[in-house]
Amino acid sequence: MSVAPPGVPALDVVEVKGNMMTLSLGPQHPSTHGVLQVVVQVSGEVVEKADMEIGYLHTGIEKSAENLFWTQAGTVIERMDYLSPLGNAMAYVLAVEQLLGVTDRIPERAQSIRVLLCELTRIASHCVWLGTGGIDLGAISTFFYAFDMREDILDLIEQSGGARMHPNYLRIGGINGDLPDGFLARLDALIEKFPVRMRELRALLQNNPILRDRMIDVGIVSTQDAVAWGLTGPSLRASGIGYDVRKAFPYSGYEKYAFDVPVRDDGDAYARFLVRLDEMDEAMRIVGQVRKELEGRGPIMIDDPKIAQPAKETIALSMEALIHHFKIVSEAFRVPPGDVYQAIESPRGELGYYVVSNGDNRPYRIRTRPPSMYNLQALKLLAPGNLIADLVVMIGSLDPVFGEVDR
Amino acid sequence: MPSSQVPSIAGTALDPTALRPAIADAEILRVGPGELRAKLIELRAAGCSMLLDIGGVDYLERDPRFDVVYHLLALPVKPAGVAEVGVPRRVRVLAGVPGDAPALPSIHDLWPNADWAEREIYDLFGIVFEGHPDLRRIQMPYEWEGHPLRKDYPLRGPAREATPRPAFALKSNVPAGAPPGGKVAAALQKQIARARGQVVSTPEEKKP
Repeated sequence: MSVAPPGVPALDVVEVKGNMMTLSLGPQHPSTHGVLQVVVQVSGEVVEKADMEIGYLHTGIEKSAENLFWTQAGTVIERMDYLSPLGNAMAYVLAVEQLLGVTDRIPERAQSIRVLLCELTRIASHCVWLGTGGIDLGAISTFFYAFDMREDILDLIEQSGGARMHPNYLRIGGINGDLPDGFLARLDALIEKFPVRMRELRALLQNNPILRDRMIDVGIVSTQDAVAWGLTGPSLRASGIGYDVRKAFPYSGYEKYAFDVPVRDDGDAYARFLVRLDEMDEAMRIVGQVRKELEGRGPIMIDDPKIAQPAKETIALSMEALIHHFKIVSEAFRVPPGDVYQAIESPRGELGYYVVSNGDNRPYRIRTRPPSMYNLQALKLLAPGNLIADLVVMIGSLDPVFGEVDR
Repeated sequence: MPSSQVPSIAGTALDPTALRPAIADAEILRVGPGELRAKLIELRAAGCSMLLDIGGVDYLERDPRFDVVYHLLALPVKPAGVAEVGVPRRVRVLAGVPGDAPALPSIHDLWPNADWAEREIYDLFGIVFEGHPDLRRIQMPYEWEGHPLRKDYPLRGPAREATPRPAFALKSNVPAGAPPGGKVAAALQKQIARARGQVVSTPEEKKP
């Protein structure tokens, strides 16, 4: 609560009624992990009711995507969940490939690289959650350890796709270019370094008495509530249900890899914390398995000139390649009419794309199922009866990303 | 499909009776607005415990104009491991909504997370959910007019659409050799002249 000069009403206090005070937390508040405004009714320090205002980051991505070619829409879609851009791209390209009916024809190497990058992004995303969540609880050093690891991963993503955050590397039909020379050596270095780093992080946090005090029995979601409120991802698995899209509806060859899905029954912030930590280890286990498949070179794009851009070298030599290149760049391709729902396991839960095509070269409608939005909504259930300080822990433990909540 | 072929409308998403060709991602049901609640209650009783998402689609020329799409997932409501969850049943319920005075019954009482989803569809499509306790805009500002995800809503918004885009000067409109106007151009020309060693007198330089 800010202290206002005399004569000017304090901005933070919205209303005072008897013992109750209505406060606005956010939208510019470091502990809301983005532009979330929580209008809380507090009596003393206890939250009686929390109502959330979202939409501060609404940029109309779904509308923009409807006005771009199928090949271009991926660029704006990656910007929804900005901590897991490759996850968004993955769901989108898989949905469009289903509509095109080419799911079975995607080269295996491309699928492996997609899985590799998605799992690396999962670790990077959890690093941000861990670092910022640590700051919420006063553990500043966690932030530096976690972001150091994230930086290593972003370097790898930059090397493969050309950009740290939004590389637009996953394309309909495959991926844009093979991994560069030297990528695997850096990946090996990361694989070797990772367990040490995770041991350090766990030593720093897992049995830290302050952290345990702040997290255990805070923000408990029962199994029934988790299902009724549509929680997915680590938040659902911390409430006792082992639902993981990678296991239930495998995509892009996830059925080939051996990995466990961490599940806990406690449903509190500490359970969500442990599930995410374990997930980072499991993600690295998948990365290690994918790494073994990546030696050598192989096709990385579907063998279909109507969908895949021809390689740049062939354009100067082949008339056909030049024509196809021109067609794809200037008017993309038409996708057979229909609708499809494609879900993937993003770091935050089930990320689904409901894509409708009317047979044109632009998507007719792309509806995102944003896991963050549904996870965050459960705060209405969690907040009442808790301290404001615990509200901050709850927001952190639900791990919302506002690019995705507001789209 | 070669890009030069224009597909026919029959059997496409614009055809309200058509269901998409075989992609086995869910069971698909189509209901009218009147029977929607009864169908969802039935599905909920049959084990579809989670409402994953509610989405909207505007098929402008079609009757009924809108589709509201409910994605359901059958998860156990007691602690269950990965093996027990197995491959849960997915159901997609499509409800057609007519274009004039679009309305649907709210399912906020069946699944509490329908709250924000219904508000978003009201906000972006203008479909009213009858019985929703707090139906107001969620993504757009409260005083916003219009519903942006409707197909007849311009991409740049009505206000910017009303202002004409700047007309660029065609080459033929500019006489040959005419200098570009404006203070910036004048300053540039001065700089060029200085660089060439020509002395340019300006009012400032005449002052002692």
